[in-house]
Amino acid sequence: MKKRMTKLLSLFTATMMVTSALTGCGSKEEETQTAQTSANESSASVESTSEAASEGVEEFSYPMESGHTVVYWMELNSAASANFLSMDETEFGKALQEQTGIEIEYQHPASGQAKEQFNLMLADGNLPDIIEWKWLTDYTGGPAKAIEDGVVIPLNDIIEEYCPNLKAYLEEHPDIDKEIKTDDGQYYMFPTINGTRESFGGYIREDWLKELNLEIPASMDDWYHVLTVFKNEKGTEAPLSIAWSALITNSPWAYAYGVGGKSFVVEEDTVVYAPISDGYKEFLTTLNKWYEEGLLDPELATIKNTQVTAKIATGLSGASAGYLASAMQVQITAGIAEAPEFSLVATPVPEVTEGVAPEYANTTRGIGAIGAAITTQCEDIEAAARLLDYCYAGDGLMLFNYGIEGVSYEMVDGNPVYTDEIFNNPDGLEQSAALGKYQRASYNGPGIQLADRYKQTLLYENTQNARETWQVEGAVDHVLPALTLTTEESSEYATIMNEITTYVDEWTLKFVMGTESLDNWDTYVQTIQQFGITRATEIQQAAYDRYLVR
Amino acid sequence: MHRKKGYQESFSKRLKTDLRRNWSLYLLVLPVLLFYIAFKYKPMYGALIAFMDYTPTKGMANSEWVGLKHFSRFFSSPYFWRLLKNTFLLSFYNLLFGFPAPIILALLLNEVKNAKFKKFTQTVTYLPHFLSLVVICGMVTDFSLINGLFNSVIEFFGGTRTPLLQNPDYYRTIYVLSGIWKEVGWGSIIYLAALSGIDTQLYEAAKIDGAGKWKQMIHVTLPGITPQIVILLIMKIGNLMSMGYEKTILLYNPSIYETADIISSYVYRSGLMNQEWGYSTAIGLFNSLVNCTLVVAANYISRKTTENSLW
Repeated sequence: MKKRMTKLLSLFTATMMVTSALTGCGSKEEETQTAQTSANESSASVESTSEAASEGVEEFSYPMESGHTVVYWMELNSAASANFLSMDETEFGKALQEQTGIEIEYQHPASGQAKEQFNLMLADGNLPDIIEWKWLTDYTGGPAKAIEDGVVIPLNDIIEEYCPNLKAYLEEHPDIDKEIKTDDGQYYMFPTINGTRESFGGYIREDWLKELNLEIPASMDDWYHVLTVFKNEKGTEAPLSIAWSALITNSPWAYAYGVGGKSFVVEEDTVVYAPISDGYKEFLTTLNKWYEEGLLDPELATIKNTQVTAKIATGLSGASAGYLASAMQVQITAGIAEAPEFSLVATPVPEVTEGVAPEYANTTRGIGAIGAAITTQCEDIEAAARLLDYCYAGDGLMLFNYGIEGVSYEMVDGNPVYTDEIFNNPDGLEQSAALGKYQRASYNGPGIQLADRYKQTLLYENTQNARETWQVEGAVDHVLPALTLTTEESSEYATIMNEITTYVDEWTLKFVMGTESLDNWDTYVQTIQQFGITRATEIQQAAYDRYLVR
Repeated sequence: MHRKKGYQESFSKRLKTDLRRNWSLYLLVLPVLLFYIAFKYKPMYGALIAFMDYTPTKGMANSEWVGLKHFSRFFSSPYFWRLLKNTFLLSFYNLLFGFPAPIILALLLNEVKNAKFKKFTQTVTYLPHFLSLVVICGMVTDFSLINGLFNSVIEFFGGTRTPLLQNPDYYRTIYVLSGIWKEVGWGSIIYLAALSGIDTQLYEAAKIDGAGKWKQMIHVTLPGITPQIVILLIMKIGNLMSMGYEKTILLYNPSIYETADIISSYVYRSGLMNQEWGYSTAIGLFNSLVNCTLVVAANYISRKTTENSLW
């Protein structure tokens, strides 16, 4: 009896020990229910306060009365995290709280783990008041589902009531207005509005081009020629060095074939899944040729941006593609430190067939990926809304873009100009870190990123001109806008795309690296069709059609 | 074991008596018991979401039941066999090469007579265990680059430099070897402890019988630590399929999914990255069932063949 009992027990324990590891997501139904009740209560209180507000005091001015606290979850950008553990410690964070009168309790996920921690936070059910997130791309099912799931609240009444700055901006800019709504017209986030588009593109060693009597490459054939010369004359181990995901999704070489984005693109109002298009096959064929001939970085699958910077700066590579400020400019600075004649020049999206101008380029529809949403568990909705509305006009806009007057910027002839605190920081901070200390328009967040601010941060003539070079007329028409799917659509879509993404990533690399012959292209396309890409495309098309009639 | 015939008190009665008599011992074990209940048993309730279309904000009460939908999706997934094969092979190689390594190290250390050298070797081999996995994998990734350490070694022996972590053929070797490097010293501690417990008279007797070092090791040392080896082996087999995703996601990239992608990294991608809670829980649950079967089987075989077993 005793022995059998022990046997059973130990068997049970052993079972548990192996099971428990994988079933970590506990139930939170009680908490969730209370959360929902409190959400209902708080939305009820919004109505009552809004009634009170419309009857009572008309004019609102910052700062708010003391006693308002909001919990604010956001990923700390590397510009700030370089020197600060929390937004709370930055001059921007301090000034924001002081000027709005709202106390902010910041929560930051560990660097590089934002997505996991965001999803764990959702699974846990304990939400902060405000979440900054890529709602469109990184919330499965998109913003409409986030509202339906009871994670965030629709903002229409709130913007109407508490957000005069954003409201005024949206009335003036209907194109932006269209991007931050769901199909049924619900606002869901305080967007990053960027006055700076086209900030990702290709670049090449200008001094080498001159030395070797070469022109800036303008077609794919030019590129092949230039990279080959770099390889032979300069002995570079990897003439073109870039991480594979950027190469496939964002690089000018991908856009040349009309397949940038590694996902859906729009061709004359038809949604197309790029990775199975003929353009993608041609693109991979070219890359494979480059890879085989040693023109492409042999380590493209494992290389990271810091290593690209090192390779470019030390002359192991001669060309790459990346963001204007955080890649090209950083690499120029690093390169000049190695060799004073070092210079990089921006390259346009190349032509595939000579004389046929490219139609695609990296661009956005004026909205950054990250926006701030108010959660269903937020109790002080007015404070949250006032806080988020602050950076869309007036003093808030200045703080968001330039920081603190007299410290990080000064007014010269009526225009704000960054001081040496930014350009030549006395504490030795690099420009990006100094910017991160005082403002937050250098990265995404709720507010308007002014184009002039961006221009000021570009130090070299070549970086200042780069955006014009990278621009392609009409490229924005090919960018899939902010679509919203219904709940059924989104779960079906997620299931299909989950399998496809893994497959496309894997096969793309195999094709490029030659471990899989491009003769098997048809098998690849067929498999993706079996996964259900036709259905996924239909879903996107339907959502796009709904977007067009918004 | 034979039980005495005759009157036997009921279990609850005996427990009561025992509780009264040994209450302090029960008090001591209480925190451990609570730990298991809170962190190991209670979360198992969450395994139910494997049978639901789970949405966190709706909670388990309001999410829709979908039966075995997630399981059938996984079994019919084109990745199913690959994931199973990769998980099994990686664990199997880990066991095949990783399990004997600390035993061999312990046996070697046991023969070292110079105390200083022994201590030094032990410290050097323990050290990687205390480094975070992220650091270890960062080092391995860097070493595997074209200009990395591994490639320098390969070149020294006449090979050519290639990016090692982009070749599916090398991944398992890198995975297993780096695992051994990290854990071999730590794993040898338990064997060293067991070795020190062997009666020295046995060695003397063996010597008198004319046994050399090798024979002593085969006939005295190894049998002396067999119980420890078997118990640890069974426990390892129980974990055969439960490979953590951490090391994999730190080392892999899509060009080597073919050999690197395992069940837990797939769960990580679909659960934590794509918010498919129900689906990923179903996969996890399946994995646990496989593990459970393995540990019971291993224990059974071990009891029949070596008479050593966990239960």
